[in-house]
Amino acid sequence: MKILYSWLKDFIDLDFTPEELAQKFTQLGMEVASIEKKGADFEGVSVAQITHIENHPDSDHLHLVDLDLGGGKTQRVVCGAPNVAVGQKVPLARVGARLGKTVLGPAKIRGVVSEGMICSSDELGLTNTRARGILVLDENIPLGTDVRTLYGKADALFDLEITSNRPDLMSHLGVARELSALLNKPVKQPAPKEFAGEGESLNVDIRDAQACPRYTGRIIRGVKNAESPDFIKERLSAMGLNPKNALVDVTNYVMFELGQPLHAFDRNEIDGDTIVVRRAQNGEKFILLDGRELTLDENALMIGDDKKATALAGVMGGLNSGIKEDTTDIFIESAYFDAPTTNKTSKTYAVSSDSSQRFERGADIGMTELALKRATELFVAACGGTPSKIRDAYPHPYENPVVHFTPAQINGILGADIAEEKLKDIFSRLALKFDASGKEWTFQAPTHRRDLNHRWDLAEEAARFAGFDCIPAGESRAFVQFNDNPKGVDLLELFSEKLAGLGFYECKNIDFLGEKELKDFGFEPKNAVKIKNAMAKGWDYMRPTLLPALLKNIAFNQSRGNADLALFEATRTFNLIKGFPAETYTVSGVQCGRLTHRPFFKANGEKPDFFFLKGIMQNLLEGFEGVSFAPSVSAPVYMHPKICMDVLINGKKAGVFGAVHPLALKACDVKENEVWAFELALKPLEKMFSAQEFKPAKAVTAFPPSLRDLSVMLDKTVPYAQIKDVLQNTPLNVNLRFDLIDLYEGDRLPQGKKSVTFTLAFSAPDRTLKDAETDAAFNALLENLKAKTGAELR
Amino acid sequence: MTLQEFKENCAHIEREYTDKIASAGNVSAVEELRVAALGRKGALTELLKNLKDFSIEDKKAAGPLGNALKAALTQALEEKTAALAAQELNEQLNRVDLDLTLPARPVPCGKRHPLSIAQKRMTDILSKLGFTWAEGPWVEDEKHNFDMLNIPKHHPARDAQDTFFAQTGSPLSMVLRTHTSNVQSRFMEKHQPPLRIMAPGRVFRNDSLDATHSPVFHQIEGLYVDKNVSMADLKRDLTAFMKGLLGDKTEIRFRPSFFPFTEPSAEVDVKCVFCSGKGCHICKGSGWIEMLGSGVVHPNVLKNCGIDPEIYSGYAFGMGVERLAMMMMDINDIRAFYENDLRLLNQF
Repeated sequence: MKILYSWLKDFIDLDFTPEELAQKFTQLGMEVASIEKKGADFEGVSVAQITHIENHPDSDHLHLVDLDLGGGKTQRVVCGAPNVAVGQKVPLARVGARLGKTVLGPAKIRGVVSEGMICSSDELGLTNTRARGILVLDENIPLGTDVRTLYGKADALFDLEITSNRPDLMSHLGVARELSALLNKPVKQPAPKEFAGEGESLNVDIRDAQACPRYTGRIIRGVKNAESPDFIKERLSAMGLNPKNALVDVTNYVMFELGQPLHAFDRNEIDGDTIVVRRAQNGEKFILLDGRELTLDENALMIGDDKKATALAGVMGGLNSGIKEDTTDIFIESAYFDAPTTNKTSKTYAVSSDSSQRFERGADIGMTELALKRATELFVAACGGTPSKIRDAYPHPYENPVVHFTPAQINGILGADIAEEKLKDIFSRLALKFDASGKEWTFQAPTHRRDLNHRWDLAEEAARFAGFDCIPAGESRAFVQFNDNPKGVDLLELFSEKLAGLGFYECKNIDFLGEKELKDFGFEPKNAVKIKNAMAKGWDYMRPTLLPALLKNIAFNQSRGNADLALFEATRTFNLIKGFPAETYTVSGVQCGRLTHRPFFKANGEKPDFFFLKGIMQNLLEGFEGVSFAPSVSAPVYMHPKICMDVLINGKKAGVFGAVHPLALKACDVKENEVWAFELALKPLEKMFSAQEFKPAKAVTAFPPSLRDLSVMLDKTVPYAQIKDVLQNTPLNVNLRFDLIDLYEGDRLPQGKKSVTFTLAFSAPDRTLKDAETDAAFNALLENLKAKTGAELR
Repeated sequence: MTLQEFKENCAHIEREYTDKIASAGNVSAVEELRVAALGRKGALTELLKNLKDFSIEDKKAAGPLGNALKAALTQALEEKTAALAAQELNEQLNRVDLDLTLPARPVPCGKRHPLSIAQKRMTDILSKLGFTWAEGPWVEDEKHNFDMLNIPKHHPARDAQDTFFAQTGSPLSMVLRTHTSNVQSRFMEKHQPPLRIMAPGRVFRNDSLDATHSPVFHQIEGLYVDKNVSMADLKRDLTAFMKGLLGDKTEIRFRPSFFPFTEPSAEVDVKCVFCSGKGCHICKGSGWIEMLGSGVVHPNVLKNCGIDPEIYSGYAFGMGVERLAMMMMDINDIRAFYENDLRLLNQF
């Protein structure tokens, strides 16, 4: 809401600088988005010309400047501006001149008395920022001219952010009322000229009293549209509106002044003598003042006559009944439309106006008649004409609820200690009715303050007017509780920290993706959460997978010159289960390029392979029971069909890892054909995880193991898993750990054969093994391998 | 040989070999001395052979003397050998010529996202202040996101949120939560006071994507409900929170504002940490930086959650994570958080 300082002064006496006033606004809860200063706030500054400059005897940057004031008068002043030069015409403030609030006196500057000063634009208050030197004026301006006449009257335009609970502040009168309560100064109540009224106004037939509890109006006959008077034009221009003509401008002017939206109809376009306030019929067509055609339904509240609709109530008039240049009789509507109705109408048809913005926040039902009188006064002054009587349909006058409370309750909410007298003072300034005679106080707000409904509202008023600094930082309160974090949160954190430690960078991506990506990644759009009012195409769904975004992060970084990447994201994914939205904590990662993010002189850059990724997965899931990996029987479409494993948790699939399918890479613009990826749903891990639980240790033996290498040759078709199985399940009297150290498939072996070599570590918890024991175990393993896999010792 | 001669010889050998050992220049020279002194035909070995001819009395005097000398020489020889070996090793080590200024091997090491770092700072501090982590759905029904929080249908406060609406099979009208405050309604509907929770997480607004706006961003919510919780409790805890976040000298101020779910409502500013309140470009000359919105929980919200506002009261606050991160990490475009450029990510 724009507020013009000079307009505000119509309603309250103020002598603050604009900056001081801005502080008051802030204190009251109106954020000042900007202050735009206009015109000149100084007196006694006149145009003079510089005739001579010499250096100050005691300074290397100050000058002694002689000026011609015109009429044979001269003046010498001290000046430190860097841009001073002979011949310039400049604004000279002599002793006695006023600059803002300062009256200039003589000043002794390094021993030289200066009886005036050459001003810069900020010293004159013409700009907010500090100027770099004196203001140099046009050389054609006559000497001695009052500089004020060059800039017009001083004023300031504030742009205030009004919160949606305070529609009463969307007018100059409203802001003045608020300042009045703060400063304890009276509001100069508007008292427009009264007209007796000749002839009747239109009848009013309100068919929805809930939506329109008050409708006030009158006709002015015999007007001649004209230009608005200067003060209206100037003020509207300052507010950022283009003045049109008086019949249009006055309604806007009164709205900015008193907060009441008005609408002026061409009387002669209204059929019959009755204004009807009604709901629109389903399918009813209506053309707005701006030419847009709407098809309405019963949500819309309409103003109309016997035959047709003439306005979308409280929002915008119709094209059929607007004011024209040659309009002679006008009907002025000053009504109250309730907030939800107006909001619904405005939202449904996407029409918003200054008027609808006031009604949907809540206008002042008590203001309609006064505003109508004020408009009448201005219309008649500008356009002549004869006002009719006023017709005010207001069957049930509105009153705000009475709030019962005690001063202790107010201080209790605030944790403050505001004196009762102070509270009484504040509430009496705000109330329509206030009674503090008993132990329990009562307060009733005037009609323009519908937001004051219970004691919490009054507590806020008390704090605002006493100053929010009245609230102390309270005493410490003991409150002991301990609750675990939600498990999903702890798991996300655990996996994120592990991945960062394993060389992965955390990413955060927007949660939206498009239908094409869904399909590219094998997800059914009907099982995804769709956004009805998506911002952009491609952002229509909540993502069921984190991988597309991570692959795009690869593409983005490649385009910025980084091709060696390990990225992860840990957050929620979304899908529909039987139609209901389900959210899953998910962690996904991608890796491509070299393991080391930069080339290095001692290595050519080792690349990760599938088994590196498998190691990452093993590290991530280390410590969780029941986790196993199995080659995917049918890999997801975005994964390589043969290089993909399922992560099984207690036999149930919880994720996959492997190589990304080249088509998925292409879909995400990745310029690389080998990208490793994993995606893991954390839900199945929650049951077996507690960040708070301590894990019991297994004993470690003090006796070193006996090491043996075992190298066997067997058919290529025997998978490692089978060999591992045999090693793990051969009954032994000792403990065994085994590591695969070599795998060979090549020319030195017979066709169809491979050779595997293990390092076997045999141990016992209570002793160093004897050779015979080790040999027995070794042979048992070998024999079992021979029997189960057809292996031969090499 | 007399005992006296024996003693003299011992002294002589001790002097001679102590000097020779001390001045030996390498390990083989020491070995030669060992042979010369203690070897089968060594000087001391030969001398000790004379003992067999001594009287018992003399043996008692000479024996220990000879043995002590043998032990002393053995030790001196060993020490000298070790010293020489160490010296040789050191010489060998000193011949190594490795250019230590060559670049470090790029050992892979990842990083957390700057927003995670900022959020963790906040949750760590709030944990210390006794707040429990609570979560709520991101795809939320309108009841929990709006209605229960005193944001009625057809109210401008609801419009101001630029809501994304979700299409699901739920009979309820679903939205992407517009704030973390849905966790307030979710939590209070299930728990009676006293309760103190924090709820960090993503929120969604159908707003433009530009340098200062993103349709997805992060907030952190705080809520405390108990008997007699007041604005003063809020001020104390927010002061502690901000001091934890921005340093012990941090000052805060309350400014009146409006949020539908709090009454009274306060915008919280901190004294500009960049200019100590003198006014700079970051605080736009005001000396204060807007940090978060807060207030006393609106009685309607408590009622809607089944908590009696005549018995209990509470405070709530909500703060933007991006805003703080942008300010403290000197990032001037919110989109940078969602681009995931490695050159940004690896700075934190």
